[in-house]
Amino acid sequence: MKNDLKVQRAIQGLTQAQLAEKVHVSRQTINAIESNKYVPSTVLALKIAGVFKRRVEEIFLLEEGD
Amino acid sequence: MEIKLLLPRKYRLIGWILVVPSTVVMVMSMYFDFSLPFLNYVGKGTHISLDPTFIWNIQSHNFTGDIAGVLLLTGLLMVAFSKEKIEDERTQRLRLESLLWAVYLNSILIILAIILCYGTLFLNVMIYNICSTLVFFIARFRWVMYKEALS
Repeated sequence: MKNDLKVQRAIQGLTQAQLAEKVHVSRQTINAIESNKYVPSTVLALKIAGVFKRRVEEIFLLEEGD
Repeated sequence: MEIKLLLPRKYRLIGWILVVPSTVVMVMSMYFDFSLPFLNYVGKGTHISLDPTFIWNIQSHNFTGDIAGVLLLTGLLMVAFSKEKIEDERTQRLRLESLLWAVYLNSILIILAIILCYGTLFLNVMIYNICSTLVFFIARFRWVMYKEALS
């Protein structure tokens, strides 16, 4: 799965740490999601989408092979 | 998501305070016959059936190593399973991965020990085995968390 997190974050002018604080995870977790090392749970994906006021599938996209 | 099976964070420090002295006592009692005299026990001669080395039947024993073992294991559990500063879902994933890794490593080492070690040496390996899984887990999990902190 790939994601658009970095771009969304840039649009909103949020740092990794600020986003992390809003969704109650560590900055490292946001970093791991952005670098495609970690696939977040549905709960976390929904929370992140909520911060950006977008739908989950606008931020997280399935890749071939998923 | 709240994981109820983890201990509060402050237990990590308490754990280390237990682990350090009990490790020293364990090593000294294993290799240098160290024992605390007040932990000596001499049986009154009452026997019940069951194995003669079961607690009710033993005739004389020094409990230094046993008590150190209990404290060591308790301390290691506290160090291993107390919450991180920010305990989120990725921490839990890393925790579980490290636990799996530790169980694999420990099992492989035990298999090797069964093949390679006999007699007292094997017995010593079994004593180490009491806490080795937790030690491997702690080492691996701390390493992974350290690498995370750098990223």
